[in-house]
Amino acid sequence: MAFPNVRLSNRPLHFIYLCDCSGSMAAQGKMQALNQAIRQSLPGMAEVARQNPEARVLVRAVRFADKAEWHLGEPTPVQQLQWRDLEAGGITAMGDALDLVAGALQSPPMEERALPPVLVLISDGQPTDDFDAGLANLMRLPWAQKAVRLAIAMGHDADLEVLQQFIGPEPSGAGKSPRRPLQASNATTLAQYIQWASTAVVGAASMPASRVSPVGEASGAAPAPGSNIPLPDLPPTLLDPSDDVGPLVW
Amino acid sequence: MNWLLPEGESLLFDGIDQPLRILRGLGGGTQGQVFAVELAGSSRGEALALKWYLPNCIRRDPQLRARLNQSIRLGAPNSDFLWPLALLEPAASSPASGFGYLMPLRPEGFVGAHLHAGGELEISLQNVLKACFHLADGFHQLHLKGLCYKDISLGNLFLEPASGRILICDNDNVDIDGQGQGSVLGTPGFMAPEVLLGQAKPSASSDLFSLAVLLFRLLTRHDPFRGQLELAIRCLDEPARRRLYGEEALFIFDPLDSRNRPDPMEHAAALITWPIYPAALQGLFEQSFGPGLRQPQQRSLTGQWTQAMGRCLDQRQLCPHCGQETFPDARAPRSCWNCGHALPAPLRLQLPQAQVVAAAGNELHPHHFDALAVPSIETPLGRLVAHPSDPSLLGLQNLSESSWQGVLISGAAVTLEPGKTCNLSALQQLHSSAGPIQVLRP
Repeated sequence: MAFPNVRLSNRPLHFIYLCDCSGSMAAQGKMQALNQAIRQSLPGMAEVARQNPEARVLVRAVRFADKAEWHLGEPTPVQQLQWRDLEAGGITAMGDALDLVAGALQSPPMEERALPPVLVLISDGQPTDDFDAGLANLMRLPWAQKAVRLAIAMGHDADLEVLQQFIGPEPSGAGKSPRRPLQASNATTLAQYIQWASTAVVGAASMPASRVSPVGEASGAAPAPGSNIPLPDLPPTLLDPSDDVGPLVW
Repeated sequence: MNWLLPEGESLLFDGIDQPLRILRGLGGGTQGQVFAVELAGSSRGEALALKWYLPNCIRRDPQLRARLNQSIRLGAPNSDFLWPLALLEPAASSPASGFGYLMPLRPEGFVGAHLHAGGELEISLQNVLKACFHLADGFHQLHLKGLCYKDISLGNLFLEPASGRILICDNDNVDIDGQGQGSVLGTPGFMAPEVLLGQAKPSASSDLFSLAVLLFRLLTRHDPFRGQLELAIRCLDEPARRRLYGEEALFIFDPLDSRNRPDPMEHAAALITWPIYPAALQGLFEQSFGPGLRQPQQRSLTGQWTQAMGRCLDQRQLCPHCGQETFPDARAPRSCWNCGHALPAPLRLQLPQAQVVAAAGNELHPHHFDALAVPSIETPLGRLVAHPSDPSLLGLQNLSESSWQGVLISGAAVTLEPGKTCNLSALQQLHSSAGPIQVLRP
């Protein structure tokens, strides 16, 4: 005497961290801060996954230093994920990391049907390998073009230009969506950005949120075309990512 | 979470005399945050919640304050809405900025409807149908007041699985139908096609579409437009959703066009659950998602939904073989959707305005007796119950406040006091306070 044991069919949502583990990440506790930020964000991410019956949120992570390798290679349901600490040491093979992710976004192994993947690139420096070739290789793939790509710059030495290339050109219209790299100048901001990417952005990519028409729009308007997933607002306590951020305190 | 208001502190607001104590933050979304609060000095500890808006949300929605004041003035359509009670602005001395509104606190036991859609909730079919009745009834009352809701989705509905009661939250987009200046458009997947495609603003008639989607999702745990056409979509992003729910929307069970039928592997839920429901209820979906897809005036009305849900509850019958709840049409005896066994013709109760199948848990309501009574499942007059120690004995319990007179098959008379239950197998007829109840044996 119960509702039949069925559920809405769901699609996988691949969420992939690309983490800079170069030697400079060892300085000022940046590596620890990133490990903490990701670990702390997991319960919130699991809750968002639970609330979105349409999505099966699967997490992976790439670490890149002298070369890129899977830190978490198995697409892991967020509810089962236990974050193993990343360790810093080496140079910045960011292009290699993009190649590695490109391999994962090919079909197969990529499923035939899925929600837009979410790629989060976190770096504190400049690529030391052929970034352009890696990016070109990645962006040839339809799943990479459809992906929500975010970049977080840790500290002031990060190469904002390559991070901007990764997320794509900034759209012309004004908007609150961060189509620029997010600049985390301290551990608290970093944690908030990671939290935002793993909850609000995952929510937006997996289950559409309530829509509002832009201010001043007189007639009923369709959601703005352009981006294939509208990005949610950043948390209220965060400055606009384009603002300069204060001193580097880690 | 960074809370906008300090937990544990008492704040002064314009509009209320006593300070309000911020007990704890409950959650936050894109619009704002919700806090459990209590009025200082309230001895009964009335459970209240405060929604506090983010500056972004206030800036984007210039009519928000006026709409809230309007809703507070008009009052809740019924108790199923967590309706705004008072608009609160921080007093001059307060550290808070912006504004928010006070509403009843959602009681324990209510869970988000998304848990049901995700298959994580234990709930009976009867209680799902009751929840659907309450939902349609809530929108009936809301629309009767001249209001529209604009943004119904799984995200603002809560269910109590043990009772089928519901709560509708996020009532801050509610506006007078047709006068709306609000900025909300709705939630993709629930928005009416004309709103999704930018051809119309949300209204009572787009509410009817969203309501039908939500009812379908509650009853089937599936989406009305995800069938074969979804399988052709590789990446389910915004443009794909616009096609699936707008430009090329096609109901998966459209009687005239089978191109979007559910896939047996990918959409199994729809194929299992849809056949559970009687044709009259299925027909309302075919109407809303067929002709009603492009012609808003063709959509099934709230009153039609409550009537169909009510009738479905009345014809609930338990399969003697597997015990599952079934809802076969009275005139077309069918087999059990679950185990396939033929369903025997059931014992029925003939009431002046309806027939109710005698199955444990089914209820008699005032509208079964009085043609003028508004359909409501709020206060049952009687309930069919199994004997506590012998479940094979079925009885009718008097839930009214007056005693009923019965006539047994033997001709003997019996009195049924309030709260008492009469064994149906010996009963011929009852005279209840609301009207006669005749036992119909198959």
